[in-house]
Amino acid sequence: MSQYSDDDDDYSDDGSEMEEEEEEEEPEWNDKGGSGKKRGRSKSDSGGRGGRKKKSSESKYIVWEAEVSDAEDDDEDVDEEDDFFVNGETDLPAEDDQRQYYQPRFNPLQEVEEDFDNLEKIKERLSRYAKDDDYELEELNEVDQQALLPSVRDPKLWMVKCVIGREREVAVCLMQKIIDRGSEFKIRSVIALDHLQNYIYIEADMEAHVKEAIKGMRNIYANNKILLVPIKEMTDVLSVGSKAIDLSRDMWVRMKLGIYKGDLAQVVDVDNVRRRVTVKLIPRIDLQVLANKLEGRETVKKKAFAPPPRFMNVDEARELHIRVEHRRDQTTGDYFESIDNMLFKNGFLYKKVSTKSIAAQNITPTFDELERFKRPSENGEIDFDDLSTLFANRKKGHFMKGDAVIVIRGDLKNMKGWIEKVNEENVLIRSNMKGLPNPLAVYERDLCKYFEPGNFVKVVSGSHEGATGMVVKVDQHVLIVLSDTTKEHIRIFADHVVKSTEVTNGVTKIGDYELHDLVLLSDLSFGVIIKLDSEAIQILKGVPDKPKVSFVKAREIKYKIEKRTNAQDRYKNVITVKDVVRVIEGYSKGKQGPVLQIHKGVLFMHDRHNLEHAGFICAKCSSCVLVGGSNSGANRIVDSFSRFGNFKTPAPVPPSPRRFQRGDMGSNIGSGAGRRQWGGRGNDLLVGTYVKIRLGPFKGYMGRLVEVKEKSVRVELEAKIVTVDRNAISDMTDNVTTPSQYNNMGSQTPMHPSRTPLHPCMTPMRDSGATPIHDGMRTPMRNRAWNPYTPMTPSRDNWENGNPGSWGTSSQYQPESSYDPATPGSGWANSTPGRSYSDVGTPIANAPSPMTPSSVSYLPTTPGGQPMTPGADLDLMSPDIDEEGETWLTPGILVNVHKTGEDSKEGVIRDVLSDGSCVVAVGDRGEGDTVMATQREVRLVFPRKNDHVKIVGGKYRGSRATFIGLDGSDGLVRLDDSLEIKIMKPAMLAKLAHE
Amino acid sequence: MGSAPAQIPTSFGHELRACLRCRLVKTYDQFRDAGCENCPFFKMEEDHERIVEVTTPNFNGIISVMDPSRSWAARWLRIGKFAPGCYTLAVAEPLPEEMQLLCQEERVQYVLPKRM
Repeated sequence: MSQYSDDDDDYSDDGSEMEEEEEEEEPEWNDKGGSGKKRGRSKSDSGGRGGRKKKSSESKYIVWEAEVSDAEDDDEDVDEEDDFFVNGETDLPAEDDQRQYYQPRFNPLQEVEEDFDNLEKIKERLSRYAKDDDYELEELNEVDQQALLPSVRDPKLWMVKCVIGREREVAVCLMQKIIDRGSEFKIRSVIALDHLQNYIYIEADMEAHVKEAIKGMRNIYANNKILLVPIKEMTDVLSVGSKAIDLSRDMWVRMKLGIYKGDLAQVVDVDNVRRRVTVKLIPRIDLQVLANKLEGRETVKKKAFAPPPRFMNVDEARELHIRVEHRRDQTTGDYFESIDNMLFKNGFLYKKVSTKSIAAQNITPTFDELERFKRPSENGEIDFDDLSTLFANRKKGHFMKGDAVIVIRGDLKNMKGWIEKVNEENVLIRSNMKGLPNPLAVYERDLCKYFEPGNFVKVVSGSHEGATGMVVKVDQHVLIVLSDTTKEHIRIFADHVVKSTEVTNGVTKIGDYELHDLVLLSDLSFGVIIKLDSEAIQILKGVPDKPKVSFVKAREIKYKIEKRTNAQDRYKNVITVKDVVRVIEGYSKGKQGPVLQIHKGVLFMHDRHNLEHAGFICAKCSSCVLVGGSNSGANRIVDSFSRFGNFKTPAPVPPSPRRFQRGDMGSNIGSGAGRRQWGGRGNDLLVGTYVKIRLGPFKGYMGRLVEVKEKSVRVELEAKIVTVDRNAISDMTDNVTTPSQYNNMGSQTPMHPSRTPLHPCMTPMRDSGATPIHDGMRTPMRNRAWNPYTPMTPSRDNWENGNPGSWGTSSQYQPESSYDPATPGSGWANSTPGRSYSDVGTPIANAPSPMTPSSVSYLPTTPGGQPMTPGADLDLMSPDIDEEGETWLTPGILVNVHKTGEDSKEGVIRDVLSDGSCVVAVGDRGEGDTVMATQREVRLVFPRKNDHVKIVGGKYRGSRATFIGLDGSDGLVRLDDSLEIKIMKPAMLAKLAHE
Repeated sequence: MGSAPAQIPTSFGHELRACLRCRLVKTYDQFRDAGCENCPFFKMEEDHERIVEVTTPNFNGIISVMDPSRSWAARWLRIGKFAPGCYTLAVAEPLPEEMQLLCQEERVQYVLPKRM
């Protein structure tokens, strides 16, 4: 007090100055008060709650006054809520009260008393109306708080930068400054938040006031920009959750500072007054160093080194002549061993720390930590008593109805049961035990979840969170779980798992990274993600000699390597993703599996039989050979597409039963004439395609491919057939010309389930439909079918711009392009009249695969698909297999006609003949001449927004609709009949001619 | 400024405590010497043990209110009618029950802290 008496005196001087000032002002507001208020009111009468508006009337005195009435609202509103207006309007009689209210300002203490008097009255009134007045008050506050929301007339909050750690000091110093200097400054308040460093908030009407006030303040960066807090955010500034961390005994905490930083500790005692807790932890004490220190021998201090945690062994300490005292703690009465002012008991260090130096929220000790924490001298097993402390950290809602539980403490120990109901305090369980009341109330903390070997569980907390697996062993309430992802055993607390039928791969995605992604790390090394868990990402590094696994955090990953490359095996066979290779030398010798990632000549393959590293093997490409075994035949088929995209000769593959598919493709690609025998050579699938020669003396030449050899192809140019290197050609019309782009798409394959050997047949079928449509839309040559990019490229911009450069590189394509490798099959169905559906694998078309929807969308042209839509009323559908592929063309739709050697023309289909060719009236309204065009020469015109379209495929085939727009790869349409909004593949939409 | 300001904390560290009723922040010593300006009925200056009962070191954030009646923040925090001074934004603990009774006897409003 003494030091403040001066201040007080100072203040009273200041105060008197101020009072004078106020006295000058006072009459002003007294006079104006009423009228001013009336003005305010007249404005706001219509505005509902007058009080609020009134407050926001112009004069600040009125603001003040309104505030008072507001304050009164606080108290009086309870019984006068309805009279609010009345209260506002009949202010004049109340004026006296208010004056009374203000005048005592000169005597602050009196004011406070007044305040209380006021409250007293209110309380009386309250008790008249409601018995539970506390409740009423609370209620009132909730409602009233809304009325206090800041308005534009209220002072604003300004954010001012200050020295870190001095926020409180600044706030207090500013207060002192304003007290000392009186009303010179016009700031209203200063706010220092505990959780916001480096800034304080100052409440003032104007920025200038803030600047004035902070001028010359030591810890404020007055030159920094002062930021205005938006009105909406003002309340956020003040609404700090009163962080009530209830530290209680037995709770697990983590140390935040010093050599014990990060260590697990258990709360032994809490001193709420001094904000200190006693924690018990495993000491990190180097006895030798301690001994040296105690004997006064200085040792070299290595600060960076923290001794490993080890229980204190008193005898050992004594041997080193460290003085150990047996001491009784005065407050607790417990005995401790005291060494160098540190207290030990049972080997644990008991340490008094500030509550601020421990972290108590969301601490989930790991199994290992807890195991370490148990006293070594005690029996080897962890007993429930020890671990029950773990439950102190249990979250609410830990148990759920139906959970199997076991009682771990008390008379009913080891009784099993099922949870019937979870109450606040206890849990009702039902047990099979006879003679016990059912259900039985048990304390939650006496219960533990119970699992049996064979249960499928999912980990819901802790470091393995998200993993699933099967319980293989139950050791009291520690489970050993065989993880689905890693096939490793995880030791985990029963508390951390729930039963789950889900069989997932655990966490398969963290942020942008997915399991099995190839990633570049910050140290520029690369590797494949073989395991993801909430704490770390496990990566098999791309070091071929020896498997090297490292654990990294997501932020240590620079990016995902998306670019796919090829590699050559020992015999110069090209290896692409999905190829099966065998390692013939080095660490992983003898292992084999499909390649999942290739980067810089390093292959990452997956061997199902390899339990290490989630089955992943890393090897140099030169130590591997491509396997052409029949078990990979199905793979090959799929691969062949990508390979084919790459223009690489597929490694010789023994003919497999499914080989025909490749033949099919080849044949159907052959423009029209490709009616070959099924089961033709795999290379045939290139034959008949139009290619452009990229390299060599024939660079730039275009022609039809007539023969495919091991390393070369024969291309029929305009005049002659020449021989060029296989790699030296590209699709003539195709936009993709560089190998890397091909690589890109080829390697998408692995991502796609439909490419797996299981569904080998699906691929061609789907595409056959897809391609013609798209092709028609984009490329003049129908036999471009094999262009991998065509079918799925949904994004409009991209299809419209035929800029080759944008194609392969555009990342947008990635997801879609994964479909494409299948494309080559397009059209084959039409060209193979003799083929029966069943042979083609029609049933498989229905096979569940992500592709199915899209294959459906292409139905009209897909022979295999047709059986699925028997009722489709496409009158033009011809019974002949040959033509039905094109039946999507219906009169009235707008098409582009491409005739060889002519420019493309827009026209309207007038009629579709039975052979599939159309009568097209040229012109966008069909006003021009009519021409005949074969199916191949027409392509759909893609609608623009609000265009009328006809749906040419799928369930709604034949319906008319309005095109709303594109949503990613989907087109949105509104059906004209039902006005329903449907999502359609853009390829199913044909623009209708204007009528 | 309306009324005489309360004492201003002399330090900014652990010694600070906040009155559980009005949230005024001062050091322990200040409470001991002068009590709480807003809650004189606690008579902390006479009964020092009461300081521990009615004040807490566990509070969150500081707001220095220079002009309580004209400060929106003070009004929002419902300290607009208290003396100018340093307050805290929120305290976590409620007043001990007997102290709440004392408030009732004194006919002083006491609002329990909001539980988060």
